[in-house]
Amino acid sequence: MTLIMVVDDDQDLAEMLGIVLNGAGYEVDLINHGDQALEGFRTNKPDLVLLDVMLPGIDGIEICRQIRAESMVPIVMLTAKSDSHEVVQGLEAGADDYMVKPFKSSELVARLKVRLRRTPGDGANSLRIGDISIDQVAHSLNRNGESIPLTRLEFDLLVALAKEPGRVFTRDALLSEVWGYQHATDTRLVNVHIQRLRSKIERDPDNPELIQTVRGVGYKAGPAKQ
Amino acid sequence: MIATVGTVLYSKIAAGVYHEKNSAAIAEAQSLADYTQAQLDATRYRSDILLQTVINNIFRVSDVSPTTSVRETIMLATPATAKISTRYQGSSNDVLLSTIPKSLRAEVRKNFYSNSMRVQIRYAKSSRAPIDAIAVGRVLGIPSNSIYEIYYLFPLTQQNQLISLIRGWMLGTGAALLLLIALITWYVIRRVVLPVREVAQIAEQLTEGDLSRRLLIRGEDEMGRLAISFNEMALSMQQQISRLENLSRLQQRFVSDVSHELRTPLTTIRMASQLLYESRSRLDPAASRSAELLVSQIERFESLLSDLLEVSRFDARAAILETKDIDLKPLVLNVADQLQANQVPNFSFFAPDTEYRALVDDRRIERIIRNLLSNAMDHSEGNGVAVSISQTEHVVAIGVRDYGIGFSERESERLFDRFWRADPSRSRVRGGTGLGLAIALDDAKLHQGTLKAWGSPGNGAHFVVTLPKSPGIPIDSEPIDVIPNDQPHTILADVDIDDI
Repeated sequence: MTLIMVVDDDQDLAEMLGIVLNGAGYEVDLINHGDQALEGFRTNKPDLVLLDVMLPGIDGIEICRQIRAESMVPIVMLTAKSDSHEVVQGLEAGADDYMVKPFKSSELVARLKVRLRRTPGDGANSLRIGDISIDQVAHSLNRNGESIPLTRLEFDLLVALAKEPGRVFTRDALLSEVWGYQHATDTRLVNVHIQRLRSKIERDPDNPELIQTVRGVGYKAGPAKQ
Repeated sequence: MIATVGTVLYSKIAAGVYHEKNSAAIAEAQSLADYTQAQLDATRYRSDILLQTVINNIFRVSDVSPTTSVRETIMLATPATAKISTRYQGSSNDVLLSTIPKSLRAEVRKNFYSNSMRVQIRYAKSSRAPIDAIAVGRVLGIPSNSIYEIYYLFPLTQQNQLISLIRGWMLGTGAALLLLIALITWYVIRRVVLPVREVAQIAEQLTEGDLSRRLLIRGEDEMGRLAISFNEMALSMQQQISRLENLSRLQQRFVSDVSHELRTPLTTIRMASQLLYESRSRLDPAASRSAELLVSQIERFESLLSDLLEVSRFDARAAILETKDIDLKPLVLNVADQLQANQVPNFSFFAPDTEYRALVDDRRIERIIRNLLSNAMDHSEGNGVAVSISQTEHVVAIGVRDYGIGFSERESERLFDRFWRADPSRSRVRGGTGLGLAIALDDAKLHQGTLKAWGSPGNGAHFVVTLPKSPGIPIDSEPIDVIPNDQPHTILADVDIDDI
């Protein structure tokens, strides 16, 4: 069964989240204090972390950074402020997505489903981008026999681009394909994750070759090399 | 002025000086001539030698006595005498005989005496410069019946010197006077005009918002006191304004904090209500209906909260324009679809088939359209709603017209006020937050665009948002006139939106 760790200091909200997620078929581990988050994560090894940004003790952004330092687990943040610096900070700390309060239960469940889905290998289980080979079945990345660890979201993002090399994806298109957003919301999500992805796979992230920016439009994958 | 006074004064003095000399010259010439004539008469029946001595004496001008002054003498034969002899013709100190003008000679011969005349003494020796002088002449009879004319020339050297001295003094005084006036003027400007100008400058800077500007206090005169009072005023103004700013910052902060703090419990409430709503089939009818009401009112509460947050963002000037190059027509159609505008009786959409591209913040424009359209649908009373788009080179406009209750001129003044409703007793079909138009106006202004409203009781209302096609371009035309074509004779119940 899929385990979701909910870190929120508001006990009522945490309990409600527990009820909703249980109802959606997930097992839930509730944590009310920031200081216990990392410990709980290490003990229970959840499949996804739902993290409130404002927490007593260690704040959500720091917890996010610490979890990301040791795991590629999907992290979704909860925030009351969509336009603050908080969101960008959270994304840069490694969060895959965020939900702005007050969200609908259905919206939350849908978003978590996207984060938890296993991308099915659609025919071709091996892709190439530049000098990197992508194994969709094993969910792994290889450059000259050396494996590159990616979060599931980063992997999905790279696969989305690499499946159609040369096609220019708008940020809105990526939001819909990778994050599952029906109408475009926040292009910061795309920008931040493209940067994170580049910093992992590009030889020179300042002059990216694998994921190229198309000014004023979006991004495209560079050509595959043998 | 000084020059005029100086000139007049100078000419009076010069005239006086010359007049004095003139009278003296005439008197002296007369007495000299009488004396000479007497001497000549005395030589009658005497020897020619004696006559010659007298004649020589005439030309001896160097013996200046207390009663006589420096002079030159010229003796000329009358034309009649000259036909016989000119032996006594001559002059003192080689003065050229031609010094005496013909007019003076004619006068002397005619009247025996002459009046004085200004002449220039010229000397035979070219090294001596001509001298200004007064000439007085008379006829002189020399025994043996020859008639001569004698002329006394009194140089004006002294007078000229005096006059030029006076002129020098006057010029000097004039210059000093001018300098003095200049100095006084400069002083006055320094003490009065410059400080006043400085006050004006500082006042302008204060007006422009630089509240820290102060006057430099110099001295303890009126200007000094003015500076002190002015600075006190500026200080008190600055304190007031910063107090108010602080207050409004706190208030904005409070609104923002409240909005955010409400979000966490609202999330729980929303999820709980949805859970109840989804299981309403298992509830009794009253509880089931309550769950439905709960959900819809929480929706309303949430939109109120997000509108409130948006307003607080505008108040804090934290609203940022995130522009995209988009076509406005599909955006408007999309909003109309979402609001199910085509279910409104007599809904029409007018837009010539082309692109309406503009660099705008699509989220805000969508919100403007949604606010205007839902407002029109709420107030159309089933009489129809018309949406139109039009553009010029730099400007694009969207008009939303309804044929419902409209609004009066009095009401138009409060149209864009927050939470204001035209008729509080009216049922709210769509349950707007009351912040829609206020936010639409702020959104339009953020684009440097305009939002204008026309209304007439019973004839409906017309809202027109006019936007520059890219930020910074001035609005140079209005593709859609806010006064609708079907109401050409009504006047605009003008909402002076720019000042709100």
